[in-house]
Amino acid sequence: MKSISLTINGETVTGQVEPRTHLADFMRGQLGLTGTHLGCEQGVCGACTVIIDGQPMRSCISYAVACDGATIQTVEGFDDDADLKALRTAFSANHALQCGFCTPGMLMTARDIVRRLEEPDTHRIRQELSGNLCRCTGYQGIVTAIASVIEQKPMAAKTQESRPKEATRIVAPKPFSVVATQDAPGTKTLSVSKLAMIVDSEGWTCLNQTLDLPHPQSEAWAFFEDLNQVAACMPGAQIDTIDGNDIRGHMQIKFGPIRASFDGTAQRKTDPGTKSGTLIGHGADRVSGTAADGGLTYSISALDAQTSRVSVEVRFKLTGPLAQFGRSGLVRDFAGRLTSQFGENIARVMAGESLATNAKGNDINALSLVWSVLTSRIKELFGK
Amino acid sequence: MKPAPFDYNKPASLSLAVSQLSETSGSGKIIAGGQSLGPMLNLRLARPNSVFDIRQLEELRGIQSDADSVSYGAAICHVDFEDGLVEDATQGMMRHVAGGIAHRAVRNRGTIGGSLAHADPAADWVNTTVALNATFTVLGATGRRTIAAPDFFLGAFTTSLNDDEVLEKITIPRLSDEAAWGYYKICRKKGEFAEAIGILVVDPIRGYARAVMGAVDAPPIVLDDLARSIAEAGTARDINLDQVVQQALPDANPISLRHHCVALQRAIQQVYPS
Repeated sequence: MKSISLTINGETVTGQVEPRTHLADFMRGQLGLTGTHLGCEQGVCGACTVIIDGQPMRSCISYAVACDGATIQTVEGFDDDADLKALRTAFSANHALQCGFCTPGMLMTARDIVRRLEEPDTHRIRQELSGNLCRCTGYQGIVTAIASVIEQKPMAAKTQESRPKEATRIVAPKPFSVVATQDAPGTKTLSVSKLAMIVDSEGWTCLNQTLDLPHPQSEAWAFFEDLNQVAACMPGAQIDTIDGNDIRGHMQIKFGPIRASFDGTAQRKTDPGTKSGTLIGHGADRVSGTAADGGLTYSISALDAQTSRVSVEVRFKLTGPLAQFGRSGLVRDFAGRLTSQFGENIARVMAGESLATNAKGNDINALSLVWSVLTSRIKELFGK
Repeated sequence: MKPAPFDYNKPASLSLAVSQLSETSGSGKIIAGGQSLGPMLNLRLARPNSVFDIRQLEELRGIQSDADSVSYGAAICHVDFEDGLVEDATQGMMRHVAGGIAHRAVRNRGTIGGSLAHADPAADWVNTTVALNATFTVLGATGRRTIAAPDFFLGAFTTSLNDDEVLEKITIPRLSDEAAWGYYKICRKKGEFAEAIGILVVDPIRGYARAVMGAVDAPPIVLDDLARSIAEAGTARDINLDQVVQQALPDANPISLRHHCVALQRAIQQVYPS
């Protein structure tokens, strides 16, 4: 618990809060200021918008502990405010609310709009209002109400907060010669792999990678027979025990602020005749309660006596809280980088190089290499 | 929807923040405006053991400028750029970009450094700093280093920042008064995550030209050769942009390709209308 002291609607308020308590919960739960509404609690809907130190902000993604010492105004604190008086009247006159759930946030944003805009430009008002959602879709009335308040404002008040104009933009410069930018990316290249990715109808993400290695088929096959060596090439993966073809291990994932550690088991099947194998596994991250199912299929063919081609298919599917992360494109980018790095690492280990490691064994940030491979592919476009 | 419990610390200086962060061996997280981290905490996608709040550190809110560049403290808010409260090194480009980030209530609290360190590929600053060839200064337990923007972004949400490093300032090379820029962002709704971002920056005095394709679910794609051929011709008339975009994004679906092509084309048209 942390002690905080802040000014809310003109009164000094002190309280004990858990760091995870956001400002809206603190005000609604501990202070009974239920005028501020909570909708999405992820900064999207705008219902919880309040004025913090003079500016509208989201109280659901501002933590109470971080507002220690701040001055807050909520919808309850504007009885004598001229702008809000005018807005209340205008909202009423223009039927700018139906159920009223979004109204506290709408009023906070509307007040900011009427204080900043000089002209009742409805296009601009709609843009400024885009961070406040009304599920009754009553936007027309809200926009009209805000425009009417701006229109009624005395000239002096309008010019008071006018902003400097944007700089005039230059267009169509004359031709000139370009000096090469030295720190453009894509200088390091180690392009041994090709990667393709699809998401099938049952939610499995499948990544196919082919690696051409300057090693005979038998050498590549021997490499894949050594599970410890293979696991060392997968960023974040660690084998705990191997019992025949049964493997127990864990895999750490760091994806920006998202971290997870999947503990699990896998079974391997190999077919020395066709030089192919599969690893099927299941794991769970105990902290988030997310489960992962995955499979790795590989086959090794001889391109000639000295070179071989490794085809790897990685399939995985997440279920549980982490699977609800809505930005699937970003997850695919992450999985793609992981798989590419796996391939690059295999090529490097087989070439006798050691892998860059940090204290924890695997450095996922060594992924820079993969990115340079991608940019090099783009550079090829221009014959460079 | 409540975050998992975490410890909250408000270090009195950046160097204290760095040393406290390095003691968490990866389980701590820096927070500034919290406009990206906050939602992920509330959704429990992110569950750091402790957060270190650097939003109010004065040393991260200043600017330093000289003849060649302007350095911005990492905790400067988007709104300070939007309202012209800090000097703009880029002939209005940063100001224009800032005004298009999310919503005003988010811009009032969100910071440029937080957005960059979060490294969402769809973020305006991520793509803009690459287009401007910015340099980032980061402070870590073992000292200070600088990283060029194109080398900073390694993947979605992935940067070259180590676990004990904090972004300190962003240095933007000045655009001359003959420079021109185009910026076009496609969103389903204003303030939503971008579907595509196209950028062109040309500066005849500095001999600088760079085009960027952004919001590609991966770090910004730098198209220096495209920019060079446009700048040296003084027109984009002879460029087959469809082909350039398609080759840069071989796995993209047709809708996404169209978005990126249109965004880039409109950015170029803002600089070279014919």
